[in-house]
Amino acid sequence: MDYNFQFGVVWDNFPALLEGAWLTFQLGCIAFGGGALIGLICAALKTYGPWAIRFLVDSYVVFITNTPALIQIYFLYFGLPEVGLRWSNEACLLIGLTLNAGAYLTLILRAGFLSVRITEIEAGQTLGMSLIQQVRYIIIPHIAKSIYPALANFFIVVLVMGTSVGALIGVDELTGQAINLSSVNYRWLEYFTVVAGMYVVLTFVASIGLALLGRWAFRVKARIF
Amino acid sequence: MPHLAVNDVRAKYGSLEVLKGITFSIEKGEIAALVGPSGSGKSTVLRALMGLTPITGGAVDIAGETMNYSSAKEVRAARDRMAVVFQQYNLFQNMTVMQNLTLAPLKIKKWDKSEVMSEARRLLGLVGLSDKAEAYSDQLSGGQQQRVALARALALKPQILLLDEVTSALDPELVNEVLDAIRKLADEGMTMVIVSHEMAFVREVADKVVFMDAGQIIEAGTPAELFDTPKTDRARDFFSKILRH
Ligand SMILES: Nc1ncnc2c1ncn2[C@@H]1O[C@H](COP(=O)(O)OP(=O)(O)OP(=O)(O)O)[C@@H](O)[C@H]1O
Ligand SMILES: [Mg+2]
Repeated sequence: MDYNFQFGVVWDNFPALLEGAWLTFQLGCIAFGGGALIGLICAALKTYGPWAIRFLVDSYVVFITNTPALIQIYFLYFGLPEVGLRWSNEACLLIGLTLNAGAYLTLILRAGFLSVRITEIEAGQTLGMSLIQQVRYIIIPHIAKSIYPALANFFIVVLVMGTSVGALIGVDELTGQAINLSSVNYRWLEYFTVVAGMYVVLTFVASIGLALLGRWAFRVKARIF
Repeated sequence: MPHLAVNDVRAKYGSLEVLKGITFSIEKGEIAALVGPSGSGKSTVLRALMGLTPITGGAVDIAGETMNYSSAKEVRAARDRMAVVFQQYNLFQNMTVMQNLTLAPLKIKKWDKSEVMSEARRLLGLVGLSDKAEAYSDQLSGGQQQRVALARALALKPQILLLDEVTSALDPELVNEVLDAIRKLADEGMTMVIVSHEMAFVREVADKVVFMDAGQIIEAGTPAELFDTPKTDRARDFFSKILRH
């Protein structure tokens, strides 16, 4: 092995990689946030809704979780223009990731809904709470606390694995940026070593942020290391 | 006029009729004790009064106002006037003691904050937990949790308090803590319906004992009448077994 590492070109283009990392972070946060909202609504509908609505929610979840995210995003990016619906590559990535996260988060949050103790709900009812108030004051805090680790793990999945799919439809997030730059000067090994390190730093910072948020907001004693 | 009058109340779980026409009443400041074998429907009476188990017949009068829980409005009116504490302390796990006490008065009733806080502190004093205001329920003993549940029920200033075997999940040493808190309420003139297996306590605080079996009232009267000179065989049988301990 006499490979001659040349990190110089990587450092010259480091600002571009940082931009990619920032886009990755933004995409991860928006997709996860939007997915969490979809998941919360779908999990509530699955728990309290009439059978027709529950069937729709089930169909959505089964359809999304049983197909690869890449296919879903290709469908939006390459498939829909065939019928006249054309969105930018970033919009397709974001919509695809959000819908994808929404389905998985429906499953995660549904488990949270099921784990709320009926006695706590009844206590809320006898104190005069409406259904909305029960969701707001009892169910959401309970879910947030009991499944916080699962949520935090899933955020990392979206942040790292989800967003990198964007490289395949030309979104310049971190992976996409690395492919662009390294195909100019063929320093694949150097670029991907640095980018791997950047992903580790990104998830590490996100994990610490999530752990602190969990401790502060929900008294979750999440381990940082 | 009775403070609480339960008139021929019926309730079903599916096709099983668990309350087959329950009738009793209490005056303001009185305490009625519901006693009877397991499965006789005591808890269901309290659940029906709070609108948790729908009633299929009969009606309830609270201070002369008749309600049969047929609309959300009537259920809300009943929950406005009564509060309940169940056997399993069902505190909100993610909130402190103080938040448990003040959530409903602040967010649902929208009462004045400083009054709510000072009333909550008074109630914590009443149940002997002034130093636990900032604790979470998993940092409290069973007896302490049960007393918080009692204080939380009182924070809504109910006219009538319903207590369902509030000591039965507790270690014997903790039972007295909770019974003391209930005695104080009795002294303050709170109207109460209690379900209890603590017959000595029932004899001490109750004005009226209602003996139930299989969803019906078999016999009702003062504690002395029921415990010492029961008229029915079933009551005699039940009390002779339970009072022997
Ligand atoms: N959720 C439910 N679904 C179906 N049946 C129920 C339900 N809850 C109670 N029951 C039935 O209703 C009847 C009355 O129950 P209830 O809990 O009121 O009895 P109880 O007198 O409070 O008994 P215990 O002293 O054991 O608490 C019992 O036969 C019980 O099996
Ligand atoms: Mg019971």
